[in-house]
Amino acid sequence: MTTIAIAPTRVDVRPAVLAVLRWIVAIAGALVIFGVLMWTKGANPLTAYSSMFETLTRDTALSGIVIKATPLILAALAVAVPARAGLVNVGGEGQLVMGGVAAARVARLFGPGAPGGLVLVGMAVGAALVGAGWAAVGGLLRVRVGISEAVTTLLLNYIALNVMFFLIYDPWKDLAGGGQPTSPAIPVAQRLPLIGSGSMAVHAGILVALIATAAMWWVLRSTRWGFKLEVVGGNAEAARRAGFAVGLLLIGAMAVGGALAGLGGFAQLAGTEFKLRPGFLVTYGYIAFLASWLARHKPVRVAVAAVVLAAISVSGDSLQLDSRLPAATVNVLMALVLLAVFGWTSRRSEA
Amino acid sequence: MSLLITEVCAGAIAGGTCILYAAVGESFSESAGVVNLGVEGSMLVGALAGYAVTAEAGNPWAGVIGAAVCGAVLAAVHAWFVLSRRSNQLATGLVVMFLGLGLTSLFGAAYVARTVESFSAWDVPGLSSIPFVGPVLFRHDPLTYLSYALVPAAWWVLYRSRWGLLIRGAGERRHVLETYGHPALGVQYGSVILGGALAGIGGAQLSTAYANAWFENTSQGRGFIGAAVVIFAARQPFKVAAGAYLFGAALALSPALQARNVSIPILDNQFALASIPYVAILVVLVVLGRKRAAEAPEGLKAVFG
Amino acid sequence: MFGTTKRRLAALTLVGAALLSACSSNDGGATSPTTAAAGDTAAAADAAPGKDSTAVGFIFVGPKDDFGYNQAAYEGSQALKETFPDLEIITAENVPETDEAARVMEGMIQKGAKIIFATSYGHLDAAKQVAAAHPDVAVVQQGNTITDAVGPNIGTYFGTVYEPVYLAGIVAGKMTKTNKLGYVYAFPIPQTLANINAFQLGAHSVNPEVETITVNTSNWCDPAKQADAAKSLLNQGVDVLTQHQDCQATVVKAAEAAGQLVVGYHADASSLAPKGWLGGSEWNWGPMYADIVKTTLAGDFTGSKYNANYRAGFASGENPFVQSAFGPTVPQEVQDLVTKAKEGFQADKSVFTGPITGQDGTVVVPAGTTLDAAAVDGMNYFVEGVVGNIPKS
Repeated sequence: MTTIAIAPTRVDVRPAVLAVLRWIVAIAGALVIFGVLMWTKGANPLTAYSSMFETLTRDTALSGIVIKATPLILAALAVAVPARAGLVNVGGEGQLVMGGVAAARVARLFGPGAPGGLVLVGMAVGAALVGAGWAAVGGLLRVRVGISEAVTTLLLNYIALNVMFFLIYDPWKDLAGGGQPTSPAIPVAQRLPLIGSGSMAVHAGILVALIATAAMWWVLRSTRWGFKLEVVGGNAEAARRAGFAVGLLLIGAMAVGGALAGLGGFAQLAGTEFKLRPGFLVTYGYIAFLASWLARHKPVRVAVAAVVLAAISVSGDSLQLDSRLPAATVNVLMALVLLAVFGWTSRRSEA
Repeated sequence: MSLLITEVCAGAIAGGTCILYAAVGESFSESAGVVNLGVEGSMLVGALAGYAVTAEAGNPWAGVIGAAVCGAVLAAVHAWFVLSRRSNQLATGLVVMFLGLGLTSLFGAAYVARTVESFSAWDVPGLSSIPFVGPVLFRHDPLTYLSYALVPAAWWVLYRSRWGLLIRGAGERRHVLETYGHPALGVQYGSVILGGALAGIGGAQLSTAYANAWFENTSQGRGFIGAAVVIFAARQPFKVAAGAYLFGAALALSPALQARNVSIPILDNQFALASIPYVAILVVLVVLGRKRAAEAPEGLKAVFG
Repeated sequence: MFGTTKRRLAALTLVGAALLSACSSNDGGATSPTTAAAGDTAAAADAAPGKDSTAVGFIFVGPKDDFGYNQAAYEGSQALKETFPDLEIITAENVPETDEAARVMEGMIQKGAKIIFATSYGHLDAAKQVAAAHPDVAVVQQGNTITDAVGPNIGTYFGTVYEPVYLAGIVAGKMTKTNKLGYVYAFPIPQTLANINAFQLGAHSVNPEVETITVNTSNWCDPAKQADAAKSLLNQGVDVLTQHQDCQATVVKAAEAAGQLVVGYHADASSLAPKGWLGGSEWNWGPMYADIVKTTLAGDFTGSKYNANYRAGFASGENPFVQSAFGPTVPQEVQDLVTKAKEGFQADKSVFTGPITGQDGTVVVPAGTTLDAAAVDGMNYFVEGVVGNIPKS
């Protein structure tokens, strides 16, 4: 009834208000459950939440979120685009890594003396191509052999990681690095430049992510290719009868997704890591997968979801540093929030 | 050479059994039309519960029960969100995995350094001395022997019993089932929860019979592999077992070669060896996996497009 | 459509690159995104790094209760509370060896920590970034080596871990009946290779027939893979197992269950193998952490031994890597051999004094030469008697 009083016109806003309320209740519920959990582990939930919030408002945390969100956004788009065609890309993890590997390879090819801008473009293109190829394997096996791309892309993640391990432990190992298993650092001139200043500075990879988001929004919404993907995703048989090259569309969707994730690997390498190392982008692919599903594969929302998940992950620092909770606690928080959103905000009409 | 083969085959059983439990469980779940990537979480929860209950109660069988219960509870969370709240299966499964990972890390810390009276290998008298077959099949822990019975039992239930008809019906023709007055939803819940319980037992096998230790994220993706195996085996328990043992064999190959100082071209690299299990499954999928998607139940087609 | 999309992506990147040409460079040091100076640098630049800090931060790469490397470091950090009751000890576990480590250390600095311990080998780059961004903060890194110029507020420290491993090798070499020792390891990093080599050298010093068979798992803690590795080694007649992983319970229990012997690493795990436990090596970080903190609080960090690549060993009397207690089956004469070798180290002898032959028969350390800490930290070979394959570079 209160909703009517709020409504300025006669348009019925109750569904919208209810939706917002449902979100609030769902997330509040998750936070309460998590609070109880923290309390059982000896932390005061109220102080914990307030210091988490305080952590998130610090300059360094803000730039930390943006930096973390950059590969997440790109890897989440890599899930969203194939999902439009009804494909499940669980391989963001491997595609990110292969993107990073390709970018490192390109930087090696050019050598430390080459001009930065040229090398950066080369790295981006190389990362996108290799990411695309790695993901296209999943698409190809789906189309030609009929194996679920969810399975193949998952398996390829482990293989990609071993490819990177092989490279950094042997042929690409930085011989000046005191035996550390890393590739040599990319020279300063060939790194993504910083935007912003001081503690708010972030590397320019975020621009790549934002441009990719806008591009995918446009591609999926306004291009013929985007429309065809949608049709294939809705009903592949109908698309086939309409004369669409369904197989090519599916492979193409995977390839574009892989290219985006590859760019994520490039941005991480050229923007913040500079070296390939054993922990390069570990678990980013899976969190990105969740971001895409959280946002129902709509590019702009996907990017927002990726930023939210990056924020939750960064706030996990505070759980450790301020509330003295184990590192894994943040996984529980993320899971509870996601479950709340999945469970209470789904379109019940689908039921 | 023959010893190498024996060792790898024995390793296939040893390393494949925990995956087998999870994958057979997942077969029930997927037959009822629900994909549960949360098996990884159920396995972790089972591994910790199995270890913790064994530590507290002093009896590994109590641990197995605890593992089954905890694995089932986590699967029930998945079932409720997917079946009653209609949330997406793959995404929810992955979240349930993170939940299991987080909770077990949180509550498992105290058990990392604990010793428990775990299952020990028991050589089956007589059978274990048969050449090749003995060391491969009959020198394992009790949970492994139990899994030998589980596979045909699961096959019988799924494909020869009225229960199986209901389960597969719930996955394929829900509405028909409901028309005839069967509670399709209840059957689906039951299948997912049973799947979680079995994944939990798989976790207990890992922590209390095979590796004899609890450690954060101790399953290291074996639950995911279980889920992948089910898809490639089209939910048929015997094929599922074959897939799980294939993965176990591929895992066992690396140390078996290394300990013998055998080096095979291409495979003489540590990371090539570490990739074998994943490549092996991929290759088998490509060779055998033609048109699996076409055989998927209706409920799964909605998931995999 | 694939082609157009590709072109579009390439075009996008070009646009991006053009946009960026106006921005500042990313040198990964003082202006790196996560370590951008928080405004306090100029003011504090003249103060001694870490002086009068009210808090100390510790980052660990794994869980702080892994019954292994990280737990040992964590226990060392908690031991500080006794010596410095007023000091706040801030810890963070599972901190990856990436740029994220820098962010976590930044968070600690914002909470007042001016002394930071980055306790994993791979945390070095992040530690360097943080040190460059905060001249007033003393950053020490555990186990790696700084190969370029060491700044005034950073250093590395470690024990000569391979010394007690060598001693354990003596025990293993004496106790083995099959002359086959088994070593389960994760990845071929120099620290691991030095341990394996020391183990073999120690065993070989008392038993010329002995060999050490290695199996890698490509994972710092996958207990099931360790179970496989142990089984394969035992099948080859190995009767003494040891390991370098983050978690050791599986290997120790596997040896015990098979009725064979085991040498521990990281922590005393004799309770897991009451019969087969031979001894081993374990961490005792407390004294060294306390000394680092004491030196730094007093304002004496810069120029101290910790403002370099400091390696403590038996010779300096403060090796943080100590011998575990011997198991019940180790006879007195073997213990005496160990004591004698230890006295040698205390008298400045080294594990890696030539002549040492490599796995392939070439001389890796010529006669009369002793490897320095940097050479040990760059080790990329196995010595003669070690069985296994590692990358060439």
